[in-house]
Amino acid sequence: MQILFQNRQPDRIASLEEYRNSGGYEALTLALKKYTRAEVQQLALDAVLLGRGGAGFPAGRKWMTVAESAPFPRYMVCNADEMEPGTFKDRVLIHTDPHQIIEGMIIVGYSVLAEKGIVFIRTSYENAARIMEQEIVRAKEAGFLGKNILGSGFSMEIAVHRSAGRYICGENTAQMRAIEGKRANPTQPPPYATEKGIWGLPTVTHNVETLACIPHILRHGPEWFKSLAATPTAAGTKLYCVSGRVNRPGCFELPMGTRLSEIIEDHAGGMQEGYQFKACLPGGASTRFLPKSFYDIEMDFDAMKQAGHRLGTGSIIVFDHKTCLVAATLNMIEFFARESCGWCTPCREGLPYIREILSRIESGEGCNDDIPQLRRMCRYLCNTYCALAPGAVSPVESLLTYFEDDVQEHIRQRKCPFK
Amino acid sequence: MPKLMIDDRKIEVAPGVKVIAAAEQAGIVIPRFCYHPALGSVGACRLCAVKFLDGPVRGLQMSCMVEARDGMVISSTDDEAVDFRRFVIELLMRNHPHDCPVCDEGGYCLLQDETIAGGHAMRRSMGKKRTHRDQYIGELVQHEMNRCIQCYRCQRFYQDYCGYRDFGVMGSASRVYFGRYADGALENPFSGNLIDICPTGVLTDKPARFKGRRWDFQRAPSICIHCSLGCSITVNARYRELVRVEARRNDDINGHFICDRGRYGFAFANHPDRPRQARINGRDTSYEEAIQTTTQRLSEIARTLGPDSIACLSSSRAGVETQMSLKFLTRSQGWRQPGCFVDRSEQNSVTAAVGRLTPERVVSLGEIEKADLILVIGVDPILEAPMLALAMRQAQRAGAGIIILNPQPVSVPFAYDHRPISPDDLCSTLQKWTRSISSQTRTESHFVEKHEEYRGPETPSVPCPLPPVDSLLQNSRRPMIVCGTNIVGTAIIHAAADLARDIHSDCRFPGLFYVLPGPNAFGAAFASAGGKSFSDILPDIETGNIKALILVEADPIFQFPDQERVKNAVKQLDLLVVLDYVPSRSVGFAGQSLAEMVSPAPLHVVIPTLTHFETQASFINQEGRLQQTTPVHVNGLPMSQLTGGKHPPRKFRSDVPGAGARAAWQVLSELEAVLSSTPADSITFADIWYRIGLAWNISVENRTEIPGNLRILSTTVESEPMTEHYRDD
Amino acid sequence: MIPDDLKETLQRQIAATDHPREQVMDVVFILQDRFGYLSDPLLEEVAALVGMTPLEVEEIATFYEFIYRKPVGRHVIHVCDGVVCWMLEYQSVLDYLRSKLGIDYGQTTDDGRFTLLPTCCLGYCDRAPAMMIDRKIYGRLTPERIDEILGKLR
Repeated sequence: MQILFQNRQPDRIASLEEYRNSGGYEALTLALKKYTRAEVQQLALDAVLLGRGGAGFPAGRKWMTVAESAPFPRYMVCNADEMEPGTFKDRVLIHTDPHQIIEGMIIVGYSVLAEKGIVFIRTSYENAARIMEQEIVRAKEAGFLGKNILGSGFSMEIAVHRSAGRYICGENTAQMRAIEGKRANPTQPPPYATEKGIWGLPTVTHNVETLACIPHILRHGPEWFKSLAATPTAAGTKLYCVSGRVNRPGCFELPMGTRLSEIIEDHAGGMQEGYQFKACLPGGASTRFLPKSFYDIEMDFDAMKQAGHRLGTGSIIVFDHKTCLVAATLNMIEFFARESCGWCTPCREGLPYIREILSRIESGEGCNDDIPQLRRMCRYLCNTYCALAPGAVSPVESLLTYFEDDVQEHIRQRKCPFK
Repeated sequence: MPKLMIDDRKIEVAPGVKVIAAAEQAGIVIPRFCYHPALGSVGACRLCAVKFLDGPVRGLQMSCMVEARDGMVISSTDDEAVDFRRFVIELLMRNHPHDCPVCDEGGYCLLQDETIAGGHAMRRSMGKKRTHRDQYIGELVQHEMNRCIQCYRCQRFYQDYCGYRDFGVMGSASRVYFGRYADGALENPFSGNLIDICPTGVLTDKPARFKGRRWDFQRAPSICIHCSLGCSITVNARYRELVRVEARRNDDINGHFICDRGRYGFAFANHPDRPRQARINGRDTSYEEAIQTTTQRLSEIARTLGPDSIACLSSSRAGVETQMSLKFLTRSQGWRQPGCFVDRSEQNSVTAAVGRLTPERVVSLGEIEKADLILVIGVDPILEAPMLALAMRQAQRAGAGIIILNPQPVSVPFAYDHRPISPDDLCSTLQKWTRSISSQTRTESHFVEKHEEYRGPETPSVPCPLPPVDSLLQNSRRPMIVCGTNIVGTAIIHAAADLARDIHSDCRFPGLFYVLPGPNAFGAAFASAGGKSFSDILPDIETGNIKALILVEADPIFQFPDQERVKNAVKQLDLLVVLDYVPSRSVGFAGQSLAEMVSPAPLHVVIPTLTHFETQASFINQEGRLQQTTPVHVNGLPMSQLTGGKHPPRKFRSDVPGAGARAAWQVLSELEAVLSSTPADSITFADIWYRIGLAWNISVENRTEIPGNLRILSTTVESEPMTEHYRDD
Repeated sequence: MIPDDLKETLQRQIAATDHPREQVMDVVFILQDRFGYLSDPLLEEVAALVGMTPLEVEEIATFYEFIYRKPVGRHVIHVCDGVVCWMLEYQSVLDYLRSKLGIDYGQTTDDGRFTLLPTCCLGYCDRAPAMMIDRKIYGRLTPERIDEILGKLR
């Protein structure tokens, strides 16, 4: 069942006409003409639309936290700063059918009366940024943006903001600072972004994929949306990315809760010849390694949580039995250490320290004290200002949980056993 | 009021207080680096972790980020919290250069304290340390970035608290760098506070560099005398030399901070040309001889020309004891009443301001921060009372509107509503507002909300249409009127007070705040009651009606605009006595050898006095608050000047070189005693305060230690009627 | 340093926003595309344009990855060192680039054509190994493909 990818074609972007022919912008008409703003919010809530950026927060509830009396202008931000390693679903979605994102933004904008839309997009997605800019102009020409949209009295403009590049800009509050032209340090609530966000004004931020779901929910209803999922508690489809040592890496739209094994075997073409599945990261670099024993796990928010894991962005990075997971973890910690914003001590200083120890182990200079020291650091790096460091230590912690033997072997052999 | 338990102590705090502050109220100081009471909580260093055992929050949390709530049970000594804090210290020390032996922060270093307290002693990391290049950030603050632990206090203080934009944080991840865009002096006139708030040795006191450790210094609480605010300071001296000044917390006045003028302006006390020896007609002499010669000549002049031919002048920088001793002296001898001001209009302005402050209306600097509307009349805060600008900025950050009435815009670090009103119209405008307010009843409006639109350091100008000032005043809840006394005349000073008095009747807080010219201008208003300013006695000197002039820590030869006129006048005196601790123009004039002078030969006497660092001295700040200094060291020639910077001499002597000075009030008391033929050696500080107490009809229980919250207002103490001398203005 | 016509365009662009500061990144990118890197004089002009102090621009310029504060070649090659590329031939791509260009990370070729820098996961994991040159992505890199790509860039 292809919903978000219904207009997916090889190497082509769906035009406004194609999108409209498939029912595009009908939801906007419904929202503006048929439903009240409260009803739009309720539909999203009933559909159990959980944020697809990784945190899984109910989308409808976020809109409800924008008070009726909140000041204007209000902001609606589309978070296309997709920088989680292994994740590329937003890019594929923009390159496939950009108008469903724009439509989603307008509907959310209407539901919270946000007149200012911003697409915050990462530097390396310059193509996607241009697509969005171009399609925003077309949507405006068609009367879906600008003043008094479809005669509803509601007006909205959308601008594209290019990030100058930092992983932390994907974090909601840091992103708002980046939009303001400031250093992207996260801030902790209160106040919440929906009360005081960009320039102190109410701001609602959603991931690209979340926004793309919204027009479909409005058109087909919450029950239909829930029925798309493979598991009873989940809702909708999910864009799963698969990368690493598989035959057909790519982005696949599947029912939320599809089993990991099915995604890898049936959709990503299975492991490359001569390679066996050893582990995967299920939702980007800031999730825990899933060893083979979880091969059949249902990939939705609840099932993963129950298993002690996180769905994250649903971007599966597959590691084979010939790849050293210590070195892979070191690579990721290197990334996180580099991308720390530098605000709080455990993240700023702790990640380079973990990098130092891991790199010592990988190069055969590790000692037995290193493992308890790493464990202690993984525990304490969860007490940081924002969620970057707790995510960053997920691979390290799970490496020590599921693959301690590999680490021990590095120390015992005084070299990397995979080299 | 939330009730909670911290380390088995029950406490109750105001709603909204963070756990770290609540603990402090109970006497438990939770370790911290980034948290600072004035800068607030930002959760960056993660050192203040505590364990929440029960209540609405559970587990390991930062005490600076969690509000105290009912039913919380918190442990700061829980094993996990202690171990986590040790971990944070270990991380911070991983890149620290461990250069403590050559670091000036030693003794002041929070990082050292927390490291030892936290139980971290061994560096386990084997990696290289991060290094940075330092910057030249001016002559006041030394920059040594390698020691940085990234608490962001400096950047938050500099940009958020002070509103200056040339120092901040650059880089990201583990390479954050606190500094300037390029080498150059810091633009912030409060930059010295960076030294106090930096928890380690990144930002240290540059003039005091390598001059000693905290524990080497003689330290004493003192008062700044560089403007009328009277900020609290701590003074450090070593080898009879003043080395550095730090801010001393005083929530009534300066909070945690002081301005750079107050911090670095102590060179006068170490001045190599400072008068240290009594002089008669340019010749060094003993103190005793100076007293004897002076009293002889004074008696002679009084006998031959009458007591009215002797005039005395003190100043607004002299302490209360000195000003009042001079008054007692003149009274006992029947001389003219002393003056304390060089300029008549200044005396009138100060007298007017002091006369209008009432207990209901007077506000402290600390209360300025709580205003919701501040009307500033005829004052340039950064110039005349720097900490006032900082206090107004805090008010503005909390949402207050600030209206500055000035012909030209002034340079202040906050957005304000500038109303250019010509000096000619200022008084009538204030009177018009007063009339309109008195005649109207209060109407509801939302001043604060309206003003929120245009605050923030990025918006120096005001875009929206300006609402009328009178209605703003009327609708504010805590309006305060700040008025200068330097460039505005008495009419405006009175108009400001009238306005404060008549702001709507149900206003709970109509504050009146005058800025005065000098640290003890307030005391000077009392001491000079009945006396004349120098500009008023100058004609009498010129005509020969005055033949003796005693200058007590006053310098009219420098301050009077027409210096030639003053010099020519002073040359006609029979006796000129100058008491001072600085090498002023007047000291220089009176200290010259008389060969250069015209005949007939007058008598010129210089008697050195002590600074408030060397003797106890009291000052009344612009809100009438009586404050005292504590001597930090004995007066004497600094060791560096005695030896030319070399090793101290290896021989012993029984006296302190260059220690011939006495407190001015002591000199004056002795003059009085000799002239009245009473014993002089028994006059103490307590005696002086006994007499002041009698004169003002105040009871000061412990006469050597006056409480810091005693306000001396013209309405609460008895003094001679203070009249303004209107003549031709 | 900024030509008058460009300056006017930028001023118009800045004036069109509620908060000039919001435009600082866009202005920097436009100037960087034109002049290669954000030199001190350029940075100071940017500051003046958006009403910030040079320090405030520097605070941002040093925070973000794609603002170059030092001279770079005409084309900046960002090699993705994300974990997927790392697993799939990142090292051989880097080694090939190093030997072909004779430079290491952080260096510029003598002819001023190329600067080599690492970058984090580019989000093209389905086409690993990948690199970005002048904000354009190239995936499924092989020595032949690298030759072809670099050959087209003067």
